[in-house]
Parts: sequence; structure tokens; C-alpha cells
Amino acid sequence: MLNVEHLVKQYGDLTAVDDVSFEAKPGAVFGLLGPNGAGKSTAINCISGLLTPTTGHIAVSGHDIARDGKAARRSLGVVPQELALYEDLPAIDNLRYWGKAYGLRGKPLENRVADVLDCIGLADRARDLPKKFSGGMKRRLNFGCGVVHQPKVLLLDEPTVGVDPQSRSKLFDLVEAERDAGACVLYTTHYMEEAERLCDSLAIIDHGKIIAEGTVDGLKAQLGARDALQLYGQFPADKIGSAIGSLARDISDLEILSQDEGSLLLTLSAASLHLPRIFDVIGQAGGSVSETSLRSPNLETLFLLLTGKELRE
Amino acid sequence: MGFLFASVRKDLLRWMQDRMALLIWLGIPFLIGGLITLMMDGGSGTPTGTLLIADQDDSLLSGFVVGAYSQEQLGELIIVEQVTPEEGERRVNDGEASGFLIIPEGFQDAFLNETPVTLTLRTNPAQTILPGIIENVTEVLLDAGFYAQRLLGPEITAIMDSASDATPTDVFVAGISVDIQQKVDAIMPRLSPLAIDLVVVEPPPQEPQQDIGLLFLPGVILMAVLFAANSLAADYWVERDKGTLRRLVSAPGALSGFVAGKAIAALLVMGLLVSITLVVGFTYHGIAWSKFLSSLLWVSLGGVGLFAWFAALQMLFPNNRAANLITTVLLFPLMMAGGSFFPLAALPDWIADLGRLAPNGFIVDRLTGELTSASAWSIDAQSWLVSLAITASGLVFSVWRLRSGFARR
Repeated sequence: MLNVEHLVKQYGDLTAVDDVSFEAKPGAVFGLLGPNGAGKSTAINCISGLLTPTTGHIAVSGHDIARDGKAARRSLGVVPQELALYEDLPAIDNLRYWGKAYGLRGKPLENRVADVLDCIGLADRARDLPKKFSGGMKRRLNFGCGVVHQPKVLLLDEPTVGVDPQSRSKLFDLVEAERDAGACVLYTTHYMEEAERLCDSLAIIDHGKIIAEGTVDGLKAQLGARDALQLYGQFPADKIGSAIGSLARDISDLEILSQDEGSLLLTLSAASLHLPRIFDVIGQAGGSVSETSLRSPNLETLFLLLTGKELRE
Repeated sequence: MGFLFASVRKDLLRWMQDRMALLIWLGIPFLIGGLITLMMDGGSGTPTGTLLIADQDDSLLSGFVVGAYSQEQLGELIIVEQVTPEEGERRVNDGEASGFLIIPEGFQDAFLNETPVTLTLRTNPAQTILPGIIENVTEVLLDAGFYAQRLLGPEITAIMDSASDATPTDVFVAGISVDIQQKVDAIMPRLSPLAIDLVVVEPPPQEPQQDIGLLFLPGVILMAVLFAANSLAADYWVERDKGTLRRLVSAPGALSGFVAGKAIAALLVMGLLVSITLVVGFTYHGIAWSKFLSSLLWVSLGGVGLFAWFAALQMLFPNNRAANLITTVLLFPLMMAGGSFFPLAALPDWIADLGRLAPNGFIVDRLTGELTSASAWSIDAQSWLVSLAITASGLVFSVWRLRSGFARR
């Protein structure tokens, strides 16, 4: 349904998207998980036709976006990260307008607009101007404008940024409703919880490259049962490495992921059980621990393990 | 067509919410037109002044003098009021009159006996024209009295004497009349020798004189159209900032309908604006209503052309502020050269020629011709085609600019 092959987008010397390939299927949500600036929005903009890829191929419902852009865009629905609404036009007219932009007319349009208003919970505010809406209501209308024409491929670019928990939950329901209706959904986010809840499969992207890809369960399996242990304090570079190395003889899956004089990132199973020994070894090596952060295995931990940095940095 | 109409409706609904902008665009021509009308009309026609006269002689002759200031056209300029010397003194000091004339007691006797007598005329120094007129009229009256005394002294004396008696007899009046007529006949050849035969020729029928205020009307209307066009053109930036242009680019083949929709919505807004200003202008200047439709179509079409090119120009700039600044700065030389501040006919030839080349000057020039021509639809087909071509090219350029990156940022 949505095929991206070797997508590259460069701005001068900067490569924002670097040889990205993935396939998203109908009736499923494919997630692009990565921190801000990872290249998620650039990839979405290339798919929606806002940006021209430097190299690579994108096909939507079998139509190449470069050669048969009009047909490709007919199947696309886009919910941009920033609001894209006429705030001085009633909510119902916003939906009608975008429905007509995609060729809907007459009774089917009116029926679909009524359905969408119900879905996004704005049926009773249909005639109101969006400028009088709360942020969450605007987000829902923004979503409605992207799906009013029942797209086969739906691109959602961080649709929950700045949304309150209640509206976020409502948006999740809407995404699942579109997926259940058979749409192929591409969902970008930097919230691990969103990806875990919504995505059937996902790719983790950083610095424009896909660094891991698979189902949520499959990716978690890459971690095994290992926790991520982040320590902050004083860690003399020359002594800590060998001290932890000696400890690794007793703790078989202990591994140093990153290290500098102020922080140390370790991964190991049942980390909480080994904390006293780890602190002891660090102390003997002349270091000290001022702060500890222990995380059980999840996508965020995986990102941390893969990149050595937080997902939300 | 469905999306085109949806675009028109969308923009009309949005723009009509900003009623203040519409009022400002309408207020401009009415404010400027009102000021010009005031300047052209100068208020209330011929100025008048008040001449206060204290007639202390209260004689027949002093009555003639008083009456002389109210004769024919002089009476339209000068309002004569008889006052006491004290009141006259006070009012002229307070600036309530243009002049104050005192006719002393014994004026008639002195005149008849050819003895010196002094008439006192005090004028208001705060006024310039009317006191001068009063002074000149008074001098003319005195000169006339001097010559009348020289020529008709005995007859005047006889008339004055008879005025104090009972009603003069018919024989007396006839005798005096004959004497005066004989003296006048005798002196006439010396007073007005007819050295030139005067032949009165009827002047050829002239073109009706042009109403100066009418010449300002097209430029004033275009001033409102320019402000409206510039303001409406900024809507592309508004849409870009709202993100709706980016969403639009993702929709299949919607850009042309979007731009055409904006142009039609602009045409309707311009039509409303121009209709109201034209109705007022036509009513005030008494222009034939047969020229209304042609004028409305011409200015509205031109307005859309200005809108299209302002939009295209604004989309060339890197940010909203720069775009607004440049087009606003551009407005004023356009208005100056294009006949909005002064009619093209009143500008130096070379500026007027340049002004006619400016898009608004081109519209003003043809509209002026239409409003002052003998019949309606006087704008030639070539001008209509040029206006259509300018409008169409501006819209095509706008579509190109949207496609070439403006909408994607």
C-alpha cells in the first residue's frame, strides 16, 4: 500500500533522510519512532509531495509519487504536525472544503462530514468557529480534515503534540478506527507509549537512518530481559572500564553502552539485584554515584541501547 | 467546479467576517472624496460682508448714498446695516463688520453748496477683500457725486429744494427731466466717442465645462481598490502561516481551483466595494446611469488584476513582514502617479504619461474617459483585452509561485 525504497533527502551537505526503506500495509499502523530532528517529518513530507526526494522511490497504492503524483495523492490523507485549519470558518465548512478538495460531492460528502463530526466528537460544535475551540478540539478537527475523504493511506505526523491526555486518548481511538476501516496508517511520534499502543510494526529512526525495524514485540525481544542502568556521578575513565569489565565475569550479560567522566550507561539483566556490587566496584575504582536511573525493557530502552541517548533529547 | 465554488465560498465567508477591513476600504474614498468636494466647493458660494452706516445727515442725498451700496450685484456682496455711531464703532472694533461709514450731519447741504465735507470710512483690518471693495465703491460714489454736481448742480439743487416742499408738480418734473436730458445729450459725444464699431458675435457652442470633482472620482475609487487588493493578496501569506497551503499541496490538482476561487471571491468583494463608491459618485456628480455597468466591470476586473499581481509579488518575498512592507511602500508611488492623489489631467505631462502606464493609472485613465464621455461603453476593446491579459498573467504567476515552493514551506 505504501512503499518507500532507498529514500534520501539532502539539504546541501545535510542528509535529513538517509536511505530509508519500509513498507506499510493496509489495515495496520506503521510507526516511525525517533527523537525530534531524526528525519520523520522530512520523510512524511516526501511521501505527501511537499518535498521532492533527492533519490529513492515512493509508491502510494501502486502509484509512484514522482511520476503519477496526482493519482498517488488521491489515495493520501495527511494530518500535519502543525494545525492546518481555517480558524475563521465553521468546523463543518472546514470538513466540507477539504472533502471537496479530494473530489467528494453532494450526499456522500454530507454523510461523510456528519460521520467525521461524530467521530471527532464535534457534532454539537459543527457550526462554531475553530478559533473558539480548545487545543484538543482543534487537533481533533485537524485529524477530521485529514480523513474526511476516507484515504487509503493516512500519514499522521506527530498528531498528539501538545494535546491533553483526554484528547490524546480520543485521537488514538480515531487512528484505530481508520486502521480498522482498512487504511494503511503511517504514524510518526517520539512518544514510546504511543508507538507501543498503536503500532503494529515500526521503524526506529535517528539521524535520518533507520536503526531498527520490526514489530513492537520483535524489537523488545532484541533487548532480551536486560534493563538499562544509567548512572551519573564521577567515573575516572581509565579505571572504571576495567573495574566493570572484571564484574562482567560474574554478571554474564553486563555490558557498557556508553561512558564518560560524568555518566555511565550499562545494560544487564535484573539490574536492581546487582546494584550494591556495581556501586561497590565503582567506589573501589575511585568513582562515585550521585544519581541512578533504572529502566525495564521497552522501546525507549531499546532506543537508548541503540543510540546511547534518550528518545526525547 | 465543486472545489472552485467551495473555494469562493470559503474565502467570502472568511473575508466577510472582517467587516472592519471592508469599512476601512469604503471609508477611504468617502473620506478623500469628501475632502476634495469641500476643497472644490469652498463651502457656501459668494462671500458677503457687512457695511455698517451711521447716517447722521438723514437727508435725501445721504439716503441715495446708503441705497447705492445695495444696488444690483453689489447688494449680493454687501449687506448694509444702519447703526448708531457708537454701535458701529463697537462692532467694527469687534470685527463683526467689513466696514463702518459715517455720513456726517450737513452732508447734503455741503454737497449742494460745494463746501468741504468728510465721510469717515473705517475698515476691518482682519479682512482683505471685502473692505477693499467697500472702499473702492465709496470712492466711485464720491467721484460720481463730484461730476454730477459739476454737470447737474442747478438741477440737483432744484430737486432737493422741491423735496422739502410738497409733492412737485408735473410741470416741474418735466422741466427738470428735459434740462437733464439736454445736458446729457450734449456731453455724451465727449464721454463716449464710438471709435470702434462693436459687432457682437455669438460664441460657438462649447463643450460643457468639466466638473473638477468628477476628475478626482476615478482616482479616489482606485485608491480604495488598491488598498483592498493589497490587503486581500496578503491572504496567501495568512493561509501559508495557518498551514492550509501545505495541506492543499497534498490534495490532487486543487491549486488552480484554489487560486481561481480566490480571484472570483476578490472580484465579488471588489464588485461590492466599487458598486457602493460608484453609486455615491454617480449620484453626486449626476453621471448617466447607462455608464454604471461598464464602469463597475472595468474597475472590478482591474481590481482583480491588481489583486493577482500583488499576490504574486508578495509570494516572492521570504517572509510575511517583508512582503507586506514592500507592497505597502509600492502603493503610494502607484497612487501618486496613477491619479489617486491628483487627476492625471492635473499632473505634468511626463508624470501623467508614466502614470497611465502604471496598472492603476491605466484603469483610472480609461474610467475617466468612460465617466466623461458622451456615451457608455467607450472603453475600447484593446483596453479590455490588456486588462484581461494582466489579470490572467497575474493569476498564472500566482499558481506557478504556489507550485514552485511558496505553498510547501
